[in-house]
Amino acid sequence: MPLDVQGTFVSQKINKIRWIPEDYVETKHFFTGSWDDEENSIKVWSFESLNEDEDVEYPKQLSEYKVDGDVTNIKFLDKNSIAVSISSGDVRILEVSAYDRQTPLREVHTWKKLHNFSSEKCSCTTLDTLEGDIASIGEDGNINILNSRRGDITRSIKGADSCSLHAVCFIKLNEVITGNIRGHMKIWDLRSTNDKPVAAFLLAGDELAATCITRHPTQPHIILAGSESGALAMWDLRMNQFPTSLLNAHAAGVTEMQFHPENPNKLLTSSVSGEIWDWNMETLTKKGLDEYVPLDDKTALNVNSLMPTLHKAINSLHCDRGRILCGADNEAIYLIKNFKY
Amino acid sequence: MYTFDRNFEFEQNMNFSSFSSSPPAISNVQSVRRVKTFVLPDKCLEKRVGCAWRRGNQFAIYPRSQNVNKTTLETATKTDDKILNVRQDVVLFTPILRKLVNEANGTFLSVQKLVEISKSSDNQVEFLKLSRQYRSIIRVCIESLQEAAEKETDGLHKNTLVSYITIFYSIECIWHLCEILYIDIIPGEVVLPFLLEWVRFHFPCHEQTAAQLLEACERGSEDHPEYWDTVVGMVVQGRVDVARALLKLHSAADSNEFKLVDNSLRSMPVYSVYGGMSTGEFTITWKHWQAECRSKLSSRVLAQQPQLELIMRLMVGEYSAFESIRPKYSSWFDVLGGWVLFTAPWVRRRELGAAGAACAGLAPAARSHLDVMVRALLEGDLHQVIHEIQQISDNGWFASHLTDILYHCGKLQILDHQTDVTNRLRDSLILEYGSLLLEHKSLWSVGLSYLASCSPEGLKRAELLLERMPIETEAKAMRVMAEAKKYGLLSVAQSIPACVGARRLAARGAAGAGAALAWGARARCAALCSRAAHAALRAYCDARPLPAADLLLSAGATLLIDDTLLLLGKYCDFHRLYKNREFRKAAKLLISLITSNISPEYFWPTLLLDTLPLLETDEPVLSSDDTYEIMLCLELRSTCLSSEKADLLRLALARNLARTALIDVDDE
Repeated sequence: MPLDVQGTFVSQKINKIRWIPEDYVETKHFFTGSWDDEENSIKVWSFESLNEDEDVEYPKQLSEYKVDGDVTNIKFLDKNSIAVSISSGDVRILEVSAYDRQTPLREVHTWKKLHNFSSEKCSCTTLDTLEGDIASIGEDGNINILNSRRGDITRSIKGADSCSLHAVCFIKLNEVITGNIRGHMKIWDLRSTNDKPVAAFLLAGDELAATCITRHPTQPHIILAGSESGALAMWDLRMNQFPTSLLNAHAAGVTEMQFHPENPNKLLTSSVSGEIWDWNMETLTKKGLDEYVPLDDKTALNVNSLMPTLHKAINSLHCDRGRILCGADNEAIYLIKNFKY
Repeated sequence: MYTFDRNFEFEQNMNFSSFSSSPPAISNVQSVRRVKTFVLPDKCLEKRVGCAWRRGNQFAIYPRSQNVNKTTLETATKTDDKILNVRQDVVLFTPILRKLVNEANGTFLSVQKLVEISKSSDNQVEFLKLSRQYRSIIRVCIESLQEAAEKETDGLHKNTLVSYITIFYSIECIWHLCEILYIDIIPGEVVLPFLLEWVRFHFPCHEQTAAQLLEACERGSEDHPEYWDTVVGMVVQGRVDVARALLKLHSAADSNEFKLVDNSLRSMPVYSVYGGMSTGEFTITWKHWQAECRSKLSSRVLAQQPQLELIMRLMVGEYSAFESIRPKYSSWFDVLGGWVLFTAPWVRRRELGAAGAACAGLAPAARSHLDVMVRALLEGDLHQVIHEIQQISDNGWFASHLTDILYHCGKLQILDHQTDVTNRLRDSLILEYGSLLLEHKSLWSVGLSYLASCSPEGLKRAELLLERMPIETEAKAMRVMAEAKKYGLLSVAQSIPACVGARRLAARGAAGAGAALAWGARARCAALCSRAAHAALRAYCDARPLPAADLLLSAGATLLIDDTLLLLGKYCDFHRLYKNREFRKAAKLLISLITSNISPEYFWPTLLLDTLPLLETDEPVLSSDDTYEIMLCLELRSTCLSSEKADLLRLALARNLARTALIDVDDE
């Protein structure tokens, strides 16, 4: 079946969008987090058909949780709870009821003004989660490691960066990688007590921000980062310092990347230029030292566009098997169906 | 100092009236007089008030008290003074209509793209598609408004929604007619089928009754109270087949009179471009048919059946017959299709003015906006149409989009004293609309894309408006910069990071130096970089650690933006070398910093004293030449060091000179 794109306007710029995982059935529910509006919120939606006999399903809002500031990221802690970073500097853990998605989101824990310039507001730019741990970063250049079970701050690296941090990712339970506004990447060992990075390197020479970082699902030593310029960099952490490959990809900043959960050779990226692409990463990530890309195989790295380019930025994407959700700055959400992986 | 104890949102509902019921075209004199008065709702504003413009289309009203200086923090909390923030209530910013704004923006941009790629070729089909897209967007909007109105329980709010629905219904109706008359591709320009379709679509009278009657399919349907109205309605809408089917349901359908009318309806010639008949030929056949009908009428065969006679009179295009049925309809649009059908079915789309005038004259009625617009459209007076459209309270959505597409289709030509002002009209409408959207916190990017389509003025406006946009987070700053770059607004793309950096520096002092430098480098702003570097150096002089070391060591060419920044960067590098015990290199760097003379006055003591440990190393690292240089600097700036420290340094210099006099350090 060909790709099927369905858009719905929701009167909010969507900054993050996430499917809510379901155990044995295909999920119908998802979260959205809005940004850059007078009033922002996290909403729970469900795909429902208007009439019984109709095939097309439209998103319907189930509940709304208002937040003070932009929702900068949403990450899952487990199937029903999410960690949310907000531009007011807060980090919150919210829980959606497993049985009745309509009930309002429950606030499990809130770290108020976790990131701050003493009295002034400071945005918590993003966070990452791994097995119940949360790593949050902010414009103040601090890294906070939070424990979602106990609700405390396990470690805080003050002044981890002199500029603002914009991307973070857990490499292992005790290692995080951060990227700042200049594309300066640093790896931190959370066990060591001195606040010094174990490694530091540059994303690209252009001094533009690292906007997102993700690790390869099956080869944890491979790290990918997206740049504000639209470039995509890949490192093999066994021999870091220089990216193993730096691809000039999108026309403007990469906003989010996701490896397909079922097929680690598929990478999905979205960008400020309104593009959403799917990459075949096989040749890039599988390449060992003795292997090489044959010259006559020019199509080895193939990239497909999943949707006609939008006029506004696509801020977020999330993939569940053959269905991809994306949220954009034109105040719409798109569902791409029949994606082959 | 006035206090901002309560930011009172005092929204007014400017110029909002359901336009279909408002008075006809207002003359200039009247529109000047139409001024609204608002009573300021608070006591503190009774005496003297001041007023100041805020960003965009809003202003603030504040009380002007005379004891200005006495306001302290304490009195501030007690005072009753308020600042009123007055702004226009913009219909388009309600959540439902925001969907319309965003969706239409996509289509608008497609229109612009289409124009760009097909400057020479004729792309009428594509324009038609986009025009239909606009209409479907309006339809979707009406649907969601209806849905919301059904759910709404609050009476006042419901009324507002209903009035929005009326507005958008009229917009769709006008757009459709415009599309038929100007954008659609009509073979042979014979507009009748399209016109009939328009009437059927927007004024579906009697349709349901007809469907019911036909479904029941009972002989003797004339007992239905609306039977004859329905039949006449179908004839007037040009649905001859339906009318004939309905007539067959009459209990006397087998009588001669019915057969006669049925026969006349059946034999009515229908023009089709591809029918192999020329217009002239068709005209003759049609006139012949009508003459036949007329003769049947005058033979008084139908005298017994007044309703059938009425149908026949309509068929021969008798004005009085149309006049007699007009009161049954709410507007003259209902009969427009019928009038054209039975008086001049060959009419071309530019020749509808007379038909419009005839139909509008059927009944004396107050002329609504919609009337005026449809009349103007039929007469081809687009200037008048746009003028009327501007009276609709939709904040210029309709006027700007319709004008734009008509302009790009090449169908719009408006002259003002012999000069073509079409271009200016289109631009001014779009600029107005774009500026309005740019005020909104979320819709700014949509507004920007409208302004960008009207270069060069649009971009200039965008520049001014973007610079004044509040930016709270870096994420937004980066997004605004990206948008500005997309449209080539380089000055905005540079001034935003400069502002962000300056704010960081102001808020956090030396701790913000790193962030300020990062943003300053983006803005290529030497002043900001210099300020940040000074802040960092001063902080270091106050015995705090050197800030932003991580940034400076990887800054590379960025350091060249400013001398002080270069000094800071190199000094930081000196620290690194020293810490790594690379004394030789460190010393060399320090000497080059001293001799280059770029250091600010307050930093000299630090630089000079930093030479001390290097002079005292086991192995000499500073050559005699270097020592002389330091001595020179020390003597030139001896005032900046305390005499004790200066003496200490002199001693160290003398000893180093003594060491190097024997074996000098090689300058490899």
